[in-house]
Amino acid sequence: MSTQDNGTARVIPNWESCIDCGACEVACQRTWDLPPESDRIQVVALEHGTGDETNKPMQCYNCTDAPCIDVCPTDALHYSQSDTVRVDAGMCIGCHYCGVGCPFGAPQYPDDEVPEAQEEHLMGAKSNGLMDKCTTCEPRQEEGLEPACASECPTDALLFGTPEELSEKLEEDGVSTPFNDEAAEIVFGDDADMITGE
Amino acid sequence: MAVEIAYELPYTQWNWRIGVYIAMIGIASGAYLMGYLADVRSWRLGEREHGRIAKYGYLVGLAGLAIGPPVLLSHLATPFRAMMIPLTMTNLGSWMALGAYMLMFFGLGTFIMFVWVAFGRERPHGTTTPDADEAVAADGGRDVASDGGSESGPAQAATGGDTAGGIRRVFNRIGLLGAVDTVADRTRPTETVRLGIGALFGLFAAGVLIYSAMAYGSGPTERVALWDPTFLVPVQIFGGLAAGLTVAVGLAALERGRAGRAIQQYALVAAGLLAATLVAVLATVVLLPEQVPAAEPAVDTLLSTQATLFVGGAVVAGLVVPIVLLLGGVFGQRREAISPTGTAAALVAAGALVIVGKVALALAYLLAAEFTPMPLPM
Repeated sequence: MSTQDNGTARVIPNWESCIDCGACEVACQRTWDLPPESDRIQVVALEHGTGDETNKPMQCYNCTDAPCIDVCPTDALHYSQSDTVRVDAGMCIGCHYCGVGCPFGAPQYPDDEVPEAQEEHLMGAKSNGLMDKCTTCEPRQEEGLEPACASECPTDALLFGTPEELSEKLEEDGVSTPFNDEAAEIVFGDDADMITGE
Repeated sequence: MAVEIAYELPYTQWNWRIGVYIAMIGIASGAYLMGYLADVRSWRLGEREHGRIAKYGYLVGLAGLAIGPPVLLSHLATPFRAMMIPLTMTNLGSWMALGAYMLMFFGLGTFIMFVWVAFGRERPHGTTTPDADEAVAADGGRDVASDGGSESGPAQAATGGDTAGGIRRVFNRIGLLGAVDTVADRTRPTETVRLGIGALFGLFAAGVLIYSAMAYGSGPTERVALWDPTFLVPVQIFGGLAAGLTVAVGLAALERGRAGRAIQQYALVAAGLLAATLVAVLATVVLLPEQVPAAEPAVDTLLSTQATLFVGGAVVAGLVVPIVLLLGGVFGQRREAISPTGTAAALVAAGALVIVGKVALALAYLLAAEFTPMPLPM
Protein backbone atom coordinates (compact mmCIF):
# COMPACT_ATOMS: atom_id res chain seq x y z
CA MET A 1 0.00 0.00 0.00
CA SER A 2 1.01 3.57 -0.44
CA THR A 3 3.44 5.38 1.73
CA GLN A 4 4.89 8.82 1.24
CA ASP A 5 8.25 7.53 2.44
CA ASN A 6 8.53 5.19 -0.54
CA GLY A 7 7.17 7.59 -3.17
CA THR A 8 3.81 8.82 -4.34
CA ALA A 9 1.14 6.16 -4.84
CA ARG A 10 -0.61 6.27 -8.21
CA VAL A 11 -3.03 4.32 -10.34
CA ILE A 12 -1.57 3.19 -13.66
CA PRO A 13 -3.07 0.92 -16.29
CA ASN A 14 -2.07 -2.61 -17.09
CA TRP A 15 -3.43 -2.29 -20.58
CA GLU A 16 -2.90 -5.89 -21.52
CA SER A 17 -5.55 -6.93 -19.00
CA CYS A 18 -8.27 -4.37 -19.79
CA ILE A 19 -11.44 -5.82 -21.27
CA ASP A 20 -13.26 -2.50 -21.71
CA CYS A 21 -16.03 -3.36 -19.24
CA GLY A 22 -16.33 0.18 -17.85
CA ALA A 23 -16.43 -1.02 -14.24
CA CYS A 24 -13.78 1.56 -13.29
CA GLU A 25 -15.94 4.43 -14.55
CA VAL A 26 -18.97 3.17 -12.68
CA ALA A 27 -17.00 2.57 -9.49
CA CYS A 28 -15.61 6.10 -9.57
CA GLN A 29 -18.95 7.78 -10.20
CA ARG A 30 -20.78 5.70 -7.59
CA THR A 31 -18.12 6.14 -4.91
CA TRP A 32 -18.00 9.92 -5.21
CA ASP A 33 -21.58 10.58 -6.25
CA LEU A 34 -20.43 12.22 -9.47
CA PRO A 35 -22.78 13.50 -12.19
CA PRO A 36 -23.24 11.12 -15.14
CA GLU A 37 -21.04 13.10 -17.52
CA SER A 38 -18.13 13.12 -15.09
CA ASP A 39 -15.16 11.05 -16.26
CA ARG A 40 -12.45 11.17 -13.65
CA ILE A 41 -11.46 7.90 -15.28
CA GLN A 42 -12.56 7.05 -18.78
CA VAL A 43 -12.01 4.25 -21.24
CA VAL A 44 -10.48 5.83 -24.35
CA ALA A 45 -9.93 4.61 -27.89
CA LEU A 46 -6.42 3.93 -29.11
CA GLU A 47 -5.54 3.72 -32.77
CA HIS A 48 -9.01 4.96 -33.48
CA GLY A 49 -10.37 3.95 -36.85
CA THR A 50 -7.76 1.31 -37.52
CA GLY A 51 -7.91 -2.47 -37.38
CA ASP A 52 -5.91 -2.32 -34.16
CA GLU A 53 -8.39 -0.06 -32.38
CA THR A 54 -8.60 -0.87 -28.72
CA ASN A 55 -9.99 0.77 -25.59
CA LYS A 56 -8.06 1.40 -22.40
CA PRO A 57 -8.60 3.25 -19.09
CA MET A 58 -7.03 6.69 -18.70
CA GLN A 59 -7.02 9.05 -15.74
CA CYS A 60 -4.77 11.60 -14.06
CA TYR A 61 -1.39 10.09 -13.22
CA ASN A 62 -0.56 12.78 -10.65
CA CYS A 63 2.65 13.65 -12.45
CA THR A 64 5.76 14.49 -10.52
CA ASP A 65 6.44 17.31 -12.99
CA ALA A 66 2.79 18.12 -13.62
CA PRO A 67 2.39 20.41 -16.68
CA CYS A 68 -1.10 21.31 -15.50
CA ILE A 69 0.28 22.91 -12.35
CA ASP A 70 2.80 24.89 -14.39
CA VAL A 71 0.13 26.47 -16.59
CA CYS A 72 -2.71 26.98 -14.09
CA PRO A 73 -3.02 30.80 -13.80
CA THR A 74 -4.73 30.81 -10.43
CA ASP A 75 -2.76 28.12 -8.61
CA ALA A 76 -5.99 26.17 -8.29
CA LEU A 77 -3.92 23.10 -9.13
CA HIS A 78 -1.33 22.17 -6.57
CA TYR A 79 0.35 19.22 -4.91
CA SER A 80 -1.32 17.76 -1.86
CA GLN A 81 0.59 16.62 1.19
CA SER A 82 0.82 13.19 -0.41
CA ASP A 83 2.34 14.75 -3.56
CA THR A 84 -0.70 14.03 -5.69
CA VAL A 85 -2.18 16.75 -7.92
CA ARG A 86 -5.32 18.33 -6.49
CA VAL A 87 -7.68 21.03 -7.74
CA ASP A 88 -9.19 23.66 -5.48
CA ALA A 89 -12.72 24.25 -6.78
CA GLY A 90 -12.80 27.57 -5.00
CA MET A 91 -9.91 28.89 -7.07
CA CYS A 92 -10.49 27.31 -10.49
CA ILE A 93 -11.89 29.65 -13.16
CA GLY A 94 -12.55 26.96 -15.77
CA CYS A 95 -10.09 28.37 -18.33
CA HIS A 96 -9.08 24.91 -19.68
CA TYR A 97 -5.38 25.81 -19.67
CA CYS A 98 -4.65 22.62 -17.74
CA GLY A 99 -6.55 20.67 -20.39
CA VAL A 100 -4.30 22.17 -23.04
CA GLY A 101 -1.18 21.48 -21.02
CA CYS A 102 -1.85 17.91 -19.89
CA PRO A 103 -0.14 15.43 -22.23
CA PHE A 104 -2.61 12.69 -21.26
CA GLY A 105 -5.89 14.57 -21.67
CA ALA A 106 -6.85 13.96 -18.05
CA PRO A 107 -8.53 17.23 -17.02
CA GLN A 108 -12.24 17.37 -17.66
CA TYR A 109 -14.89 20.04 -17.23
CA PRO A 110 -18.34 18.58 -16.61
CA ASP A 111 -21.03 21.16 -17.27
CA ASP A 112 -23.74 19.79 -15.01
CA GLU A 113 -25.03 22.38 -12.60
CA VAL A 114 -24.79 21.36 -8.99
CA PRO A 115 -25.51 23.32 -5.83
CA GLU A 116 -22.70 25.51 -4.59
CA ALA A 117 -22.16 23.27 -1.57
CA GLN A 118 -21.40 20.34 -3.82
CA GLU A 119 -19.24 22.41 -6.12
CA GLU A 120 -17.06 23.24 -3.16
CA HIS A 121 -16.69 19.57 -2.34
CA LEU A 122 -13.33 18.96 -0.77
CA MET A 123 -12.38 16.24 -3.23
CA GLY A 124 -12.48 18.23 -6.46
CA ALA A 125 -14.68 20.49 -8.54
CA LYS A 126 -17.17 17.88 -9.73
CA SER A 127 -19.15 20.15 -12.01
CA ASN A 128 -20.31 23.64 -13.08
CA GLY A 129 -17.71 23.80 -15.86
CA LEU A 130 -14.79 23.76 -13.45
CA MET A 131 -11.82 21.45 -13.83
CA ASP A 132 -12.19 18.05 -12.23
CA LYS A 133 -9.85 15.10 -12.05
CA CYS A 134 -8.99 11.87 -10.33
CA THR A 135 -8.20 12.27 -6.63
CA THR A 136 -6.74 8.78 -6.19
CA CYS A 137 -9.51 8.30 -3.62
CA GLU A 138 -7.42 9.68 -0.78
CA PRO A 139 -10.20 9.21 1.82
CA ARG A 140 -10.34 5.53 0.89
CA GLN A 141 -6.56 5.28 1.20
CA GLU A 142 -6.78 6.70 4.71
CA GLU A 143 -9.06 3.74 5.52
CA GLY A 144 -6.54 1.33 4.08
CA LEU A 145 -8.47 0.82 0.85
CA GLU A 146 -7.29 1.06 -2.71
CA PRO A 147 -8.87 3.61 -5.07
CA ALA A 148 -12.34 2.50 -6.16
CA CYS A 149 -11.40 1.94 -9.79
CA ALA A 150 -8.43 -0.32 -9.00
CA SER A 151 -10.39 -2.08 -6.29
CA GLU A 152 -13.33 -2.96 -8.54
CA CYS A 153 -11.50 -3.72 -11.79
CA PRO A 154 -12.33 -7.38 -12.46
CA THR A 155 -9.17 -8.09 -14.41
CA ASP A 156 -6.61 -6.11 -12.36
CA ALA A 157 -6.08 -3.80 -15.30
CA LEU A 158 -5.55 -0.89 -12.92
CA LEU A 159 -2.51 -1.12 -10.70
CA PHE A 160 -2.10 1.01 -7.60
CA GLY A 161 1.03 1.68 -5.59
CA THR A 162 4.29 3.52 -5.24
CA PRO A 163 6.77 3.37 -8.13
CA GLU A 164 8.57 0.50 -6.42
CA GLU A 165 5.31 -1.40 -5.84
CA LEU A 166 4.14 -0.75 -9.39
CA SER A 167 7.45 -1.98 -10.75
CA GLU A 168 7.10 -5.20 -8.78
CA LYS A 169 3.49 -5.71 -9.95
CA LEU A 170 4.42 -5.17 -13.58
CA GLU A 171 7.25 -7.64 -13.19
CA GLU A 172 5.01 -10.19 -11.45
CA ASP A 173 2.44 -9.96 -14.22
CA GLY A 174 5.14 -10.12 -16.86
CA VAL A 175 3.80 -7.07 -18.68
CA SER A 176 5.54 -4.03 -20.11
CA THR A 177 5.25 -0.52 -18.75
CA PRO A 178 2.46 1.59 -20.22
CA PHE A 179 4.78 4.62 -20.36
CA ASN A 180 7.52 5.56 -22.77
CA ASP A 181 10.61 7.35 -21.50
CA GLU A 182 9.24 10.88 -21.93
CA ALA A 183 5.94 10.06 -20.28
CA ALA A 184 7.61 8.15 -17.43
CA GLU A 185 9.90 11.10 -16.75
CA ILE A 186 6.94 13.46 -16.44
CA VAL A 187 4.87 11.10 -14.33
CA PHE A 188 7.49 9.53 -12.07
CA GLY A 189 10.38 12.02 -12.14
CA ASP A 190 13.49 10.51 -10.58
CA ASP A 191 11.67 7.19 -10.12
CA ALA A 192 11.06 6.77 -13.86
CA ASP A 193 13.76 4.14 -14.16
CA MET A 194 11.81 1.82 -11.86
CA ILE A 195 8.87 1.86 -14.25
CA THR A 196 10.72 1.76 -17.54
CA GLY A 197 13.04 -0.93 -16.24
CA GLU A 198 16.20 0.86 -17.36
CA MET B 1 4.48 -0.57 -30.15
CA ALA B 2 4.01 3.15 -29.62
CA VAL B 3 0.51 4.33 -30.37
CA GLU B 4 -1.32 7.61 -30.08
CA ILE B 5 -4.48 8.19 -28.13
CA ALA B 6 -7.11 9.43 -30.54
CA TYR B 7 -9.89 10.40 -28.21
CA GLU B 8 -9.50 14.18 -28.33
CA LEU B 9 -9.65 14.80 -32.06
CA PRO B 10 -10.54 17.33 -33.22
CA TYR B 11 -9.18 19.55 -30.49
CA THR B 12 -12.05 20.49 -28.21
CA GLN B 13 -10.69 22.37 -25.22
CA TRP B 14 -11.35 25.81 -26.68
CA ASN B 15 -14.06 27.17 -28.95
CA TRP B 16 -14.64 30.22 -31.15
CA ARG B 17 -14.59 32.58 -28.20
CA ILE B 18 -10.88 32.02 -27.69
CA GLY B 19 -10.28 32.75 -31.37
CA VAL B 20 -12.14 36.06 -31.19
CA TYR B 21 -10.31 36.94 -27.97
CA ILE B 22 -6.88 36.23 -29.43
CA ALA B 23 -7.69 38.14 -32.62
CA MET B 24 -9.01 41.17 -30.75
CA ILE B 25 -6.13 41.52 -28.30
CA GLY B 26 -3.73 41.15 -31.23
CA ILE B 27 -5.43 43.94 -33.17
CA ALA B 28 -5.68 46.10 -30.04
CA SER B 29 -2.04 45.80 -29.06
CA GLY B 30 -0.83 46.21 -32.65
CA ALA B 31 -2.99 49.30 -33.09
CA TYR B 32 -1.68 50.84 -29.88
CA LEU B 33 1.96 50.27 -30.82
CA MET B 34 1.59 51.65 -34.33
CA GLY B 35 -0.55 54.50 -33.00
CA TYR B 36 2.14 55.34 -30.50
CA LEU B 37 4.77 55.47 -33.22
CA ALA B 38 2.52 57.81 -35.17
CA ASP B 39 2.07 59.87 -32.00
CA VAL B 40 5.82 60.29 -31.71
CA ARG B 41 6.14 61.17 -35.39
CA SER B 42 3.37 63.72 -35.09
CA TRP B 43 5.18 65.32 -32.15
CA ARG B 44 8.51 65.38 -33.98
CA LEU B 45 7.17 66.52 -37.35
CA GLY B 46 4.32 68.68 -36.12
CA GLU B 47 1.90 67.19 -38.62
CA ARG B 48 -1.65 66.51 -37.48
CA GLU B 49 -2.34 63.65 -39.88
CA HIS B 50 0.14 61.49 -37.99
CA GLY B 51 -1.82 62.38 -34.90
CA ARG B 52 -4.96 61.06 -36.51
CA ILE B 53 -3.31 57.65 -36.87
CA ALA B 54 -2.26 57.89 -33.22
CA LYS B 55 -5.79 58.78 -32.11
CA TYR B 56 -7.36 55.96 -34.08
CA GLY B 57 -4.63 53.57 -33.00
CA TYR B 58 -5.53 54.20 -29.37
CA LEU B 59 -9.23 54.03 -30.20
CA VAL B 60 -8.83 50.68 -31.96
CA GLY B 61 -6.85 49.52 -28.92
CA LEU B 62 -9.75 50.45 -26.67
CA ALA B 63 -12.31 48.85 -29.00
CA GLY B 64 -10.34 45.61 -29.21
CA LEU B 65 -10.13 45.45 -25.45
CA ALA B 66 -13.83 46.23 -25.15
CA ILE B 67 -14.62 43.16 -27.27
CA GLY B 68 -11.88 40.57 -26.67
CA PRO B 69 -11.61 40.11 -22.89
CA PRO B 70 -15.41 40.08 -22.32
CA VAL B 71 -15.70 37.35 -24.94
CA LEU B 72 -12.99 35.39 -23.12
CA LEU B 73 -14.76 35.85 -19.80
CA SER B 74 -17.92 34.41 -21.34
CA HIS B 75 -15.92 31.24 -21.99
CA LEU B 76 -14.87 30.81 -18.39
CA ALA B 77 -16.83 28.87 -15.81
CA THR B 78 -16.41 31.58 -13.20
CA PRO B 79 -15.92 34.93 -14.99
CA PHE B 80 -16.37 37.10 -11.92
CA ARG B 81 -13.75 35.12 -10.05
CA ALA B 82 -11.38 35.54 -13.00
CA MET B 83 -11.95 39.31 -13.03
CA MET B 84 -10.48 39.63 -9.54
CA ILE B 85 -7.04 39.45 -11.13
CA PRO B 86 -4.77 40.42 -8.22
CA LEU B 87 -6.50 37.89 -6.01
CA THR B 88 -6.79 35.01 -8.45
CA MET B 89 -3.98 35.23 -11.02
CA THR B 90 -1.18 34.20 -8.68
CA ASN B 91 0.87 31.85 -10.85
CA LEU B 92 3.16 34.19 -12.77
CA GLY B 93 4.72 31.19 -14.48
CA SER B 94 1.49 30.83 -16.48
CA TRP B 95 1.07 32.82 -19.68
CA MET B 96 -2.59 33.32 -18.88
CA ALA B 97 -1.80 35.00 -15.57
CA LEU B 98 0.91 37.12 -17.21
CA GLY B 99 -1.49 38.00 -19.99
CA ALA B 100 -4.17 39.07 -17.54
CA TYR B 101 -1.84 41.51 -15.81
CA MET B 102 -0.46 42.83 -19.09
CA LEU B 103 -3.98 43.33 -20.43
CA MET B 104 -4.95 45.18 -17.27
CA PHE B 105 -2.09 47.68 -17.51
CA PHE B 106 -2.37 47.89 -21.29
CA GLY B 107 -6.07 48.71 -20.98
CA LEU B 108 -5.34 51.44 -18.46
CA GLY B 109 -2.63 52.90 -20.70
CA THR B 110 -4.77 52.82 -23.83
CA PHE B 111 -7.59 54.58 -22.01
CA ILE B 112 -5.32 57.29 -20.64
CA MET B 113 -3.54 57.91 -23.93
CA PHE B 114 -6.82 58.06 -25.83
CA VAL B 115 -8.36 60.52 -23.38
CA TRP B 116 -5.28 62.74 -23.52
CA VAL B 117 -5.28 62.71 -27.33
CA ALA B 118 -9.02 62.90 -28.03
CA PHE B 119 -10.23 65.21 -25.27
CA GLY B 120 -9.33 68.63 -24.00
CA ARG B 121 -9.11 72.02 -25.61
CA GLU B 122 -5.34 71.75 -25.58
CA ARG B 123 -5.20 68.21 -26.91
CA PRO B 124 -2.21 67.36 -29.09
CA HIS B 125 -2.69 67.02 -32.86
CA GLY B 126 -6.04 68.75 -32.64
CA THR B 127 -5.42 72.45 -32.26
CA THR B 128 -2.84 74.36 -34.18
CA THR B 129 -1.01 71.46 -35.76
CA PRO B 130 -1.41 71.60 -39.54
CA ASP B 131 -1.97 68.73 -41.89
CA ALA B 132 1.03 68.13 -44.08
CA ASP B 133 -1.07 68.57 -47.19
CA GLU B 134 -3.04 71.48 -45.76
CA ALA B 135 -0.52 74.16 -44.94
CA VAL B 136 -3.33 76.68 -44.96
CA ALA B 137 -6.64 75.53 -43.62
CA ALA B 138 -9.91 76.33 -45.27
CA ASP B 139 -10.75 79.02 -42.78
CA GLY B 140 -7.65 80.96 -43.49
CA GLY B 141 -5.28 79.40 -41.08
CA ARG B 142 -7.42 78.65 -38.08
CA ASP B 143 -7.84 74.93 -37.66
CA VAL B 144 -11.53 74.23 -37.75
CA ALA B 145 -10.98 71.25 -35.48
CA SER B 146 -9.55 73.41 -32.78
CA ASP B 147 -12.93 74.13 -31.31
CA GLY B 148 -12.63 71.65 -28.54
CA GLY B 149 -15.90 70.26 -29.70
CA SER B 150 -18.10 72.39 -27.54
CA GLU B 151 -18.86 75.30 -29.80
CA SER B 152 -21.56 75.40 -32.37
CA GLY B 153 -21.26 76.17 -36.05
CA PRO B 154 -18.61 75.11 -38.56
CA ALA B 155 -16.07 74.23 -35.93
CA GLN B 156 -18.34 71.71 -34.26
CA ALA B 157 -19.23 70.24 -37.62
CA ALA B 158 -15.55 69.62 -38.22
CA THR B 159 -15.00 67.70 -35.02
CA GLY B 160 -18.30 65.92 -35.16
CA GLY B 161 -17.31 64.17 -38.33
CA ASP B 162 -14.47 62.08 -36.95
CA THR B 163 -14.81 59.11 -34.68
CA ALA B 164 -13.20 60.81 -31.75
CA GLY B 165 -15.37 63.77 -32.59
CA GLY B 166 -18.29 61.37 -32.58
CA ILE B 167 -17.34 60.32 -29.11
CA ARG B 168 -16.95 63.95 -28.18
CA ARG B 169 -20.39 64.58 -29.56
CA VAL B 170 -21.80 61.77 -27.44
CA PHE B 171 -20.13 63.22 -24.38
CA ASN B 172 -21.43 66.64 -25.34
CA ARG B 173 -24.98 65.36 -25.59
CA ILE B 174 -24.87 63.81 -22.16
CA GLY B 175 -23.33 66.95 -20.78
CA LEU B 176 -19.96 65.50 -19.84
CA LEU B 177 -17.75 66.86 -22.58
CA GLY B 178 -16.75 69.98 -20.68
CA ALA B 179 -15.87 67.97 -17.59
CA VAL B 180 -13.90 65.33 -19.51
CA ASP B 181 -12.09 68.03 -21.50
CA THR B 182 -11.18 69.73 -18.26
CA VAL B 183 -9.97 66.49 -16.70
CA ALA B 184 -7.93 65.69 -19.83
CA ASP B 185 -6.35 69.13 -19.91
CA ARG B 186 -5.59 69.16 -16.20
CA THR B 187 -4.10 65.67 -16.08
CA ARG B 188 -2.21 65.76 -19.35
CA PRO B 189 1.51 66.21 -18.70
CA THR B 190 3.96 67.83 -21.07
CA GLU B 191 4.31 66.16 -24.45
CA THR B 192 7.65 64.64 -23.53
CA VAL B 193 6.30 63.12 -20.35
CA ARG B 194 3.08 62.02 -22.07
CA LEU B 195 5.03 60.20 -24.74
CA GLY B 196 7.26 58.69 -22.07
CA ILE B 197 4.21 57.35 -20.28
CA GLY B 198 2.92 56.11 -23.63
CA ALA B 199 6.19 54.24 -24.17
CA LEU B 200 5.85 52.61 -20.75
CA PHE B 201 2.38 51.37 -21.60
CA GLY B 202 3.78 50.39 -24.98
CA LEU B 203 5.84 47.76 -23.20
CA PHE B 204 2.62 46.22 -21.91
CA ALA B 205 1.14 46.46 -25.42
CA ALA B 206 4.17 44.60 -26.77
CA GLY B 207 3.70 42.01 -24.03
CA VAL B 208 0.05 41.57 -25.00
CA LEU B 209 1.09 41.16 -28.64
CA ILE B 210 3.43 38.32 -27.69
CA TYR B 211 0.78 36.94 -25.36
CA SER B 212 -1.61 36.82 -28.32
CA ALA B 213 0.64 34.04 -29.59
CA MET B 214 1.47 32.38 -26.29
CA ALA B 215 -2.19 32.37 -25.24
CA TYR B 216 -2.57 29.44 -27.61
CA GLY B 217 0.26 27.71 -25.81
CA SER B 218 -0.08 24.16 -24.64
CA GLY B 219 2.34 24.42 -21.76
CA PRO B 220 5.78 22.95 -21.31
CA THR B 221 4.91 19.73 -23.13
CA GLU B 222 3.57 21.52 -26.26
CA ARG B 223 1.11 18.84 -27.27
CA VAL B 224 -0.50 20.97 -30.02
CA ALA B 225 2.07 20.96 -32.79
CA LEU B 226 0.31 23.58 -34.95
CA TRP B 227 0.91 26.15 -32.23
CA ASP B 228 4.68 25.82 -32.33
CA PRO B 229 5.90 29.17 -30.94
CA THR B 230 8.73 29.45 -33.48
CA PHE B 231 6.17 29.82 -36.25
CA LEU B 232 3.22 31.22 -34.33
CA VAL B 233 4.93 34.20 -32.66
CA PRO B 234 5.97 35.89 -35.94
CA VAL B 235 2.50 35.34 -37.38
CA GLN B 236 0.87 36.96 -34.38
CA ILE B 237 3.33 39.84 -34.05
CA PHE B 238 3.26 40.83 -37.71
CA GLY B 239 -0.45 40.08 -37.91
CA GLY B 240 -1.31 42.21 -34.90
CA LEU B 241 0.79 45.18 -36.01
CA ALA B 242 -0.55 44.92 -39.57
CA ALA B 243 -4.19 44.58 -38.61
CA GLY B 244 -4.04 47.31 -35.97
CA LEU B 245 -2.40 49.81 -38.32
CA THR B 246 -4.66 48.94 -41.25
CA VAL B 247 -7.78 49.51 -39.16
CA ALA B 248 -6.40 52.82 -37.87
CA VAL B 249 -5.57 53.89 -41.43
CA GLY B 250 -9.05 52.90 -42.56
CA LEU B 251 -10.69 54.96 -39.81
CA ALA B 252 -8.47 57.97 -40.54
CA ALA B 253 -9.40 57.73 -44.22
CA LEU B 254 -13.06 57.38 -43.28
CA GLU B 255 -12.89 60.49 -41.14
CA ARG B 256 -11.33 62.64 -43.84
CA GLY B 257 -13.01 61.09 -46.87
CA ARG B 258 -9.62 60.97 -48.53
CA ALA B 259 -6.05 59.95 -47.77
CA GLY B 260 -3.45 62.65 -47.30
CA ARG B 261 0.25 62.09 -47.71
CA ALA B 262 0.83 60.82 -44.19
CA ILE B 263 -2.10 58.42 -44.30
CA GLN B 264 -0.76 57.09 -47.58
CA GLN B 265 2.60 56.47 -45.94
CA TYR B 266 0.97 54.51 -43.14
CA ALA B 267 -1.08 52.59 -45.69
CA LEU B 268 2.14 51.50 -47.38
CA VAL B 269 3.64 50.48 -44.04
CA ALA B 270 0.48 48.51 -43.30
CA ALA B 271 0.76 46.77 -46.67
CA GLY B 272 4.34 45.84 -45.84
CA LEU B 273 3.35 44.42 -42.47
CA LEU B 274 0.51 42.46 -44.07
CA ALA B 275 3.00 41.06 -46.59
CA ALA B 276 5.29 40.03 -43.73
CA THR B 277 2.34 38.32 -42.07
CA LEU B 278 1.58 36.52 -45.30
CA VAL B 279 5.16 35.28 -45.50
CA ALA B 280 5.00 34.07 -41.89
CA VAL B 281 1.74 32.23 -42.57
CA LEU B 282 3.11 30.64 -45.75
CA ALA B 283 6.25 29.62 -43.86
CA THR B 284 4.02 27.89 -41.33
CA VAL B 285 2.24 25.95 -44.04
CA VAL B 286 5.39 24.99 -45.91
CA LEU B 287 8.06 24.60 -43.24
CA LEU B 288 6.23 23.64 -40.04
CA PRO B 289 5.40 20.07 -41.20
CA GLU B 290 9.06 19.60 -42.09
CA GLN B 291 10.30 20.90 -38.76
CA VAL B 292 7.56 19.37 -36.62
CA PRO B 293 6.11 16.27 -38.31
CA ALA B 294 3.33 16.05 -35.72
CA ALA B 295 1.91 19.27 -37.18
CA GLU B 296 1.36 17.78 -40.64
CA PRO B 297 -2.25 16.61 -40.04
CA ALA B 298 -3.23 20.04 -38.68
CA VAL B 299 -1.65 21.84 -41.64
CA ASP B 300 -3.47 19.46 -43.97
CA THR B 301 -6.69 20.35 -42.17
CA LEU B 302 -5.98 24.05 -42.66
CA LEU B 303 -5.74 23.41 -46.39
CA SER B 304 -8.71 21.05 -46.68
CA THR B 305 -11.46 20.96 -44.07
CA GLN B 306 -10.76 24.52 -42.91
CA ALA B 307 -9.74 25.85 -46.33
CA THR B 308 -12.68 28.25 -46.55
CA LEU B 309 -11.77 29.82 -43.24
CA PHE B 310 -8.00 29.69 -43.60
CA VAL B 311 -7.35 30.19 -47.30
CA GLY B 312 -10.47 32.15 -48.14
CA GLY B 313 -10.97 34.14 -44.95
CA ALA B 314 -7.54 34.54 -43.41
CA VAL B 315 -5.15 34.51 -46.37
CA VAL B 316 -7.12 35.88 -49.32
CA ALA B 317 -9.71 38.15 -47.68
CA GLY B 318 -7.58 39.06 -44.68
CA LEU B 319 -4.13 39.50 -46.22
CA VAL B 320 -3.96 39.40 -50.03
CA VAL B 321 -6.98 41.58 -50.84
CA PRO B 322 -6.13 44.23 -48.21
CA ILE B 323 -2.57 44.44 -49.57
CA VAL B 324 -3.99 44.99 -53.06
CA LEU B 325 -6.47 47.58 -51.77
CA LEU B 326 -3.83 49.49 -49.82
CA LEU B 327 -1.26 49.52 -52.61
CA GLY B 328 -3.86 50.06 -55.33
CA GLY B 329 -5.50 52.88 -53.43
CA VAL B 330 -2.28 54.74 -52.67
CA PHE B 331 -0.57 54.36 -56.02
CA GLY B 332 -3.86 54.79 -57.87
CA GLN B 333 -4.35 58.18 -56.21
CA ARG B 334 -0.75 59.22 -56.78
CA ARG B 335 -1.10 58.46 -60.47
CA GLU B 336 -4.52 60.09 -60.49
CA ALA B 337 -6.10 56.87 -61.68
CA ILE B 338 -8.36 56.74 -58.63
CA SER B 339 -10.22 59.61 -57.02
CA PRO B 340 -9.34 60.55 -53.43
CA THR B 341 -12.73 59.28 -52.38
CA GLY B 342 -12.07 55.99 -54.11
CA THR B 343 -8.74 55.67 -52.31
CA ALA B 344 -10.39 56.37 -48.98
CA ALA B 345 -12.98 53.70 -49.74
CA ALA B 346 -10.23 51.23 -50.58
CA LEU B 347 -8.44 51.93 -47.29
CA VAL B 348 -11.67 51.62 -45.32
CA ALA B 349 -12.43 48.31 -47.04
CA ALA B 350 -8.92 47.08 -46.24
CA GLY B 351 -9.43 47.99 -42.60
CA ALA B 352 -12.68 46.05 -42.44
CA LEU B 353 -11.23 43.03 -44.23
CA VAL B 354 -8.20 42.67 -41.95
CA ILE B 355 -10.51 42.38 -38.95
CA VAL B 356 -12.37 39.57 -40.70
CA GLY B 357 -9.07 37.97 -41.68
CA LYS B 358 -7.57 38.20 -38.20
CA VAL B 359 -10.58 36.52 -36.65
CA ALA B 360 -10.64 33.91 -39.42
CA LEU B 361 -6.94 33.14 -38.88
CA ALA B 362 -7.38 32.74 -35.13
CA LEU B 363 -10.40 30.49 -35.59
CA ALA B 364 -8.63 28.40 -38.23
CA TYR B 365 -5.67 27.87 -35.90
CA LEU B 366 -8.07 26.65 -33.23
CA LEU B 367 -10.30 24.50 -35.39
CA ALA B 368 -7.44 22.81 -37.23
CA ALA B 369 -5.43 22.16 -34.07
CA GLU B 370 -4.97 18.58 -33.02
CA PHE B 371 -4.03 17.46 -29.58
CA THR B 372 -1.02 15.18 -29.80
CA PRO B 373 -1.12 13.03 -26.69
CA MET B 374 1.98 11.53 -25.21
CA PRO B 375 2.77 8.42 -27.29
CA LEU B 376 2.29 5.40 -25.09
CA PRO B 377 3.67 1.93 -25.73
CA MET B 378 1.31 -1.00 -25.42
